Amino acid sequence: MLVAARLCRSKSMAHLSQKLEKGAAKAAPAAAVYSVRRPRSAAAKKMFPYLLVGPAVLYLLAITLYPGLFAMYQSLFVVKFVNWSWAGLGNYTRIVQDREFWAALGNTAIIGGLSLSLQTIIAMTVAFFCYRDPFVRGWRIIFLMPMLFMPSAVAFIWKLAFNDGRVISDLLMSLGLASNNVDWLSSVWLARLTLIVADVWQWTPFLFIIFVGALQGQDEEIEEAARLDGASWSSIFWNISLPMMRPIIVVAVTLRGIDITTMFTNVYIMTQGTPGGATETMSYFIYRQGFRMFNFGYASAASVLMLLITIVVAQTIVKRAFKSGKS
Amino acid sequence: MASILLKNVVKSFGSFVGVQDMNLDVVDEEFLVLLGPSGCGKTTTMRMIAGLEHPTEGEIRIGGALMNDIDARDRDVAMVFQGYALYPNMSIYENIRFPLRMRQVPKAKHDDLIRRAAEMVELGPFLDRKPGALSGGQRQRAALARAIVRQPQVFLMDEPLSNLDAKLRASMRVQIKHMQRELKVTTVYVTHDQIEAMTLADRIVIMNKGVIQQIGTPDDIYSNPANTFVAGFIGSPPMNLIAGTAQNGTFSAAGVKVPCPASLSGNITLGIRPEDCQVGGDNLQGQVYGVEPTGDITYLTVRTANKNIEIKAGREFRAPIDSAIAVGFDTTRLYFFGEDGNRVGVK
Ligand SMILES: Nc1ncnc2c1ncn2[C@@H]1O[C@H](COP(=O)(O)OP(=O)(O)OP(=O)(O)O)[C@@H](O)[C@H]1O
Ligand SMILES: [Mg+2]
Repeated sequence: MLVAARLCRSKSMAHLSQKLEKGAAKAAPAAAVYSVRRPRSAAAKKMFPYLLVGPAVLYLLAITLYPGLFAMYQSLFVVKFVNWSWAGLGNYTRIVQDREFWAALGNTAIIGGLSLSLQTIIAMTVAFFCYRDPFVRGWRIIFLMPMLFMPSAVAFIWKLAFNDGRVISDLLMSLGLASNNVDWLSSVWLARLTLIVADVWQWTPFLFIIFVGALQGQDEEIEEAARLDGASWSSIFWNISLPMMRPIIVVAVTLRGIDITTMFTNVYIMTQGTPGGATETMSYFIYRQGFRMFNFGYASAASVLMLLITIVVAQTIVKRAFKSGKS
Repeated sequence: MASILLKNVVKSFGSFVGVQDMNLDVVDEEFLVLLGPSGCGKTTTMRMIAGLEHPTEGEIRIGGALMNDIDARDRDVAMVFQGYALYPNMSIYENIRFPLRMRQVPKAKHDDLIRRAAEMVELGPFLDRKPGALSGGQRQRAALARAIVRQPQVFLMDEPLSNLDAKLRASMRVQIKHMQRELKVTTVYVTHDQIEAMTLADRIVIMNKGVIQQIGTPDDIYSNPANTFVAGFIGSPPMNLIAGTAQNGTFSAAGVKVPCPASLSGNITLGIRPEDCQVGGDNLQGQVYGVEPTGDITYLTVRTANKNIEIKAGREFRAPIDSAIAVGFDTTRLYFFGEDGNRVGVK
């Protein structure tokens, strides 16, 4: 029955479209000069959309999937330049016993976590205080400036400010907060602090812009209603604005978090993992394994592990956040 | 619980004047209704009383105290917004509770107050839902419940019943009036709906283009309209307005002739309510333009040379279209307006 009905319908459809085509051909002989309609086979018609998106898909595959798969494949070998010898999961078993790997993971979590929390808090606080400001409304885009600098340039600026140029030491001394030059790479926490400061400086604007946009987008009448109900600005923020912004916050912070876990440029330029590996992030660990020690297979295995960890953590956070937001 | 005083209040938005030189004295415990066409400045007036909009000029006082520099939060008014303004992230229960929480009402009292308010607007079954899961009318009732859950100095209600069906609207109207009498809270109420205005108000303020046209009791507004705007705005169908001339105690226009006070002369507009006209008589000659039976009454439209005149005829009245018809006026209920639109010839 159903099949018959379908057949019937497609027949009448075909009939209709034939009619239409005839009509069109009659009605527009002049147009026919420009659009020569060669009869296309059904298969060719079906392929057409794929042809259109094909190049983009190939491009994406080439720059993301291929290297990814290559790394996964390579992680199963011990690679000494052109010599690949099968190792199975050997690289992985070595990694989980590698103290430096775990240290790098911990450093990434500490530096990234602190940096991300600071950015979120600063961005939200500043956004809360100035989202009704007419200047911020009109010109919020200029707050993106730090993001527009090249990351390596930013890293060099902060390297100069902290270490080589001693700008910050001088500043602290003139404020009487330090008695002599601070050697920022001498202590674990000072070195980590320099990385955090640099990252916060460059990336807080990203969150700020998103938060300000979300706050500006909320219904002004709701705020007015809350004012009349007796709410202070801060209780409006905690009771209404913040809960309503929750999905936006989760997405923005997750994006930023994923980005932070791959922190490399600042480490490479400012600290090189010193002192004693206390600032060695996962990306830097992988870089060191691959391009300093030429353990390509080992580096690939670390990358794959890092990818898995990031996916699992991000997925859990997003899922949790959205679930509890609904109930 | 407090009087409201507006003295020479002006509100302009750039070069556009939303409210012009408004003087208004709302007595303590009064139910005042602002009535006027869309865009006449009703919401703007209300927002100024609430403190959400600063008057460009003039004074606003609540309970005698100058409010111009007092924040909205500290004025102790409760408002029902035209657009509801419910908190989308909270359940209806939490929405209604919010003002209690913010005003530090003891927690033990919350539940009782909330349920009473919700019951009044027949919202009991929806307390657990978020505003997004309610219909327009239900949201409006939730907004109303949030306003009436506490006892403020002043209630401001901006078309709180506009989205309800006729039956619910009628019952809520009675409830609002009853509640206002019971709580004795000074109330300013905005509406488009004449019936609502007439039934609820102690006094009605008629506004047009930011200017008060008339302030008075419903009776007063109906039987003594101050100008053609009020006359043409109140009543359904509204008063017939016929432009003509007065001379030697007679008003005449094309097809119309009525006696008028001898003091009137020149261009005058005659006003006569549809219910003060009857079929048969010698005041107006015209043709039948339309006959609309509604059951208890028949609306008759008569065409004269210049204008169509609405008449409320008896329920059994019928006549063929374009037939000639003569209409009589109740000459004790004629209104005359001068060229500026204001009422003239009142003894
Ligand atoms: N923020 C504003 N900026 C400019 N003009 C405004 C602003 N708010 C209101 N107006 C104008 O002031 C006039 C009065 O507006 P208001 O909202 O008070 O009308 P209303 O009487 O409440 O109308 P309605 O019955 O349609 O709600 C309108 O012409 C409106 O366009
Ligand atoms: Mg309005």
